[in-house]
Amino acid sequence: MFWRKRKDSDFTAEISAHLELEIERLRAEGLSREEAEAAARREFGNVTRVQERFHESKRWMLLEHLRRDVAHALRVFGRNPGFTLVAVISLALGIGVNALVFSVVNAIVLRPLPVDQPGQLAFVENSQFSAGHSFPNYRQIRDRNQVFSGTLGYRVVQIELESNSSAAVRTWGYLATGNYFDVLGIKPFLGRVFHAEDDLYAGSSPYAVLSYGAWQARFGGDHEIVGKTIHINRKPYTVIGVAPRDFHGTEVFYWPEVWVPMMMQAQIEPGNAWLEEPASFNTWVIGRLKPDISIEQATANLNTIAAELVRQNPVVNEGIRFHLTRPGLVGDAIGGPARSFSFGILLLAALVLLTACANLASLLAARAADRQREIAIRLSIGATRARVVRQLLTETLVLSALGGVAGYGLATFLSSILSRWRAPMDFPVQFDVSPDWRVFCFAAAISAVAGILFGLAPSRHAARTDANAALKGESQGMQGKRLALRDVLVVVQVALCFVLVSACLLSLRGLQRSLTMHLGFEPQGVTVAEFDLGLAGYSEQRGRDFQRRTLEALAQLPGVQSAAYSNSVPLSIDQSHSSIYPEGQPNLKNSDVHMAVTYEVSPNYFATMGIRLLAGRDFDWHDNINSPRVAVVNMAFARQVFRTTNAVGKRFRHGPGGAWQQVIGIVETGKYENPTEVEKPALFQSIVQQYNTTTTMIVRSSLPEQQMADKIRQTIAALDPELPLFGTGPLSQMLGFAFLPLHAAVIALSAFGLLAVVLAITGIHGLVSYGVARRVREIGIRVAIGANPRQVIQLVLAKTFMLLGLGALIGLGLALAAGRILETVVFSSSRDPVVMASVFATMIVLGLISSWAPTRRALRIEPTIALRHE
Amino acid sequence: MATRDEKDRIALLQGTLDLLILRTLLFGPQHGQGIARAIQSQSRDELLIDHGSLYPALQRLESQEWITAEWGTSDNNRKARFYKLTKAGRKQLAHETSQWERLSAAIGRVLAGAEVEN
Repeated sequence: MFWRKRKDSDFTAEISAHLELEIERLRAEGLSREEAEAAARREFGNVTRVQERFHESKRWMLLEHLRRDVAHALRVFGRNPGFTLVAVISLALGIGVNALVFSVVNAIVLRPLPVDQPGQLAFVENSQFSAGHSFPNYRQIRDRNQVFSGTLGYRVVQIELESNSSAAVRTWGYLATGNYFDVLGIKPFLGRVFHAEDDLYAGSSPYAVLSYGAWQARFGGDHEIVGKTIHINRKPYTVIGVAPRDFHGTEVFYWPEVWVPMMMQAQIEPGNAWLEEPASFNTWVIGRLKPDISIEQATANLNTIAAELVRQNPVVNEGIRFHLTRPGLVGDAIGGPARSFSFGILLLAALVLLTACANLASLLAARAADRQREIAIRLSIGATRARVVRQLLTETLVLSALGGVAGYGLATFLSSILSRWRAPMDFPVQFDVSPDWRVFCFAAAISAVAGILFGLAPSRHAARTDANAALKGESQGMQGKRLALRDVLVVVQVALCFVLVSACLLSLRGLQRSLTMHLGFEPQGVTVAEFDLGLAGYSEQRGRDFQRRTLEALAQLPGVQSAAYSNSVPLSIDQSHSSIYPEGQPNLKNSDVHMAVTYEVSPNYFATMGIRLLAGRDFDWHDNINSPRVAVVNMAFARQVFRTTNAVGKRFRHGPGGAWQQVIGIVETGKYENPTEVEKPALFQSIVQQYNTTTTMIVRSSLPEQQMADKIRQTIAALDPELPLFGTGPLSQMLGFAFLPLHAAVIALSAFGLLAVVLAITGIHGLVSYGVARRVREIGIRVAIGANPRQVIQLVLAKTFMLLGLGALIGLGLALAAGRILETVVFSSSRDPVVMASVFATMIVLGLISSWAPTRRALRIEPTIALRHE
Repeated sequence: MATRDEKDRIALLQGTLDLLILRTLLFGPQHGQGIARAIQSQSRDELLIDHGSLYPALQRLESQEWITAEWGTSDNNRKARFYKLTKAGRKQLAHETSQWERLSAAIGRVLAGAEVEN
């Protein structure tokens, strides 16, 4: 419409035209120019007021106010860079942490599987045996239920996958029933997927569907891949298709590189054919609910099948009951803890944000006290209270928007690191936490809520400002109740900060110690290489020969001091246990049976690993299948199982009726499963007597470890060029998994510690600033009647330091309690004086930093000025 | 001054100014000052037109599209903004006039009745 485009200047022109016309008329009536002008103006009234009314009648007034408020806010922030920085940083941290945590929760729990109608899918959990079902039971569930439109089964398996760029690799795939893709509604990216009719007879369907990632990484994105033959576990499979890019299987944590029809199970898991085994509960089952079938109806129907299964085979199926849960996290096995953990962390993050908001609120309240005059002036020259509140709220919203943008940036950055991160272990743990629209909306929403939350208190305060009193310089105290809450908040923050800082320092101390910790073996100078002869299709005889020949070849390499092999090394992810029944202790109750970490090792293993032999002898090549079974045990085994330090010659077996095994040597006790464990019994058996396909070649040499690793690779490739090696490198690097909890703790605790420090600084700073701002006149009067700086400081800081002390005391108690829990992860005690001294020092520095600026302000108060409160 | 003392004048009822402006414009386009003068002279100086509230009222009517405006030249060769009644404005005038007549008749009856009882 025309009028809306009318400019203020046009309106002004109209009014001056009016005045001119009026002046002329009055002059025509005989008045002088001056008289006429005065009369015309009098008649018209307040020109400016009329112009203002015109201005405000425009519809964009609200926007205009907003623009001006934002500009004003930015000017205010520009004048207080310190305040702005503190506010934006603490908000960015609060919002960033929330957005990051939310994006992880989103990735793990909220984001549905990228399949057709994911809401209809239900994971069938087998209560008694946790997630898995036997394949015969799966068949019955699939064929007899009346509630699923389709029922699929799958299993995560380790495979050796040939790729065209390098030698075969060991990786992970899914065995999946023929209907897998059809039930999920997955359309292939290339070629086709397999269907139920491809999966009818054992061994009849050597087909493979590649994941998009494997197709890209292993086969160079070859568009002619469909129809080609690849080798899995050295057997030929025809590639029939490539899965869509965003489909990573039906488990959030296990991304397969290839899907193979279930009927190929015996080939994929050589030596362990379980498809027809009623007691092997290896199949994970997902059903697609028919429309209009509720979870309760489905569960009831499935349990009639369960009852039938129990009746058919009471021995293996005893106690089976099914229940349904969300797919993606191996049912409730991981899903339950993951979900509660996620929401717990989300709650914690929300608490962090709330604290940040509360801190900012008190900081803003301090400023509002400062700005009372400004607000009073605005009120007295005609601003409405609503207008002032709106302006203050705009300020806080601008702050929270700045904080939100910074926080979202921070979260995006951190989650990209997290998405790229791979756990240093041989497991396809991988997930995509990249933020999507949900995370963005979440961040935007919490920023807005935060802005309103911490802006509300000062705005309400401003709304109650009495212009008269404020201009006279009477400070308006806030009610005691709100102040008390603020005090409690600071105490809580300081306590929390204390706990987190001490946890952080504890973990750093642990990190320092772990570098010099005695593990019971000497990783320096040791290089390892792992391979699996079972997956590579070796028979036992060929496998034994191959292990022996490889060892001889490695031992002859220049620079090698000693070489051996075993099924596994201490502190790697692969640890086995066996039960021990010592001779002379009959009628051992089940709960009293000793468990020992068990290794199969070759002769020379102890020398190569640097494990000291305390008594007896090492294995030699004469300890073979034809000679009596022998064992080397550690000192903890001797003490705990035989209750003596001299156990050489003692005998034990692995179960009632098993063959006896005689102890021939005792070695020092080391760390086997994690670096913080207390002494554990360990058993070493001769790998010559107890063949194991999983092989770790161990070489101790004077050469640099990386160079040695290359030589080992070449040596093994010369013996079998096809054999995939994994975990090849310095032994010290292989220990990464064992130290993973420590490193994760250091990172997480440092991050939380930093967060807590920043929040505590803002909190204390806000408290002291507010105290000073409220008491400017009082301090002025005290200085005027002769208070010295020391007394002023005391006045300002007495309460703060009391609160700090209280918080620290509570924190100390909590830290000592938390330290006991942390000890299992971080290898250092909270009673470590170095740690505690550092924590106290940190807290004192923190207190000084945060009260520095406001205290200086208090000291600079000039009585003459303060009393006029200019 | 030629005009009557302001105390004697009747202040306008809320909303009646719009009616008077529309009515004045029935005789042809007029500028703001002219409208104010015309109302005052036609009411024989009984009605006080606050010039300050005249312009916001014109603004209001323009936004309702009952009047339109354009710059023109006055009788004595001054530039002025002339307002003109639109079709919708004429309808509105008819509507408001009948409303006003009903209102004043009703008030008149009430006041007459009250006098009788007195």
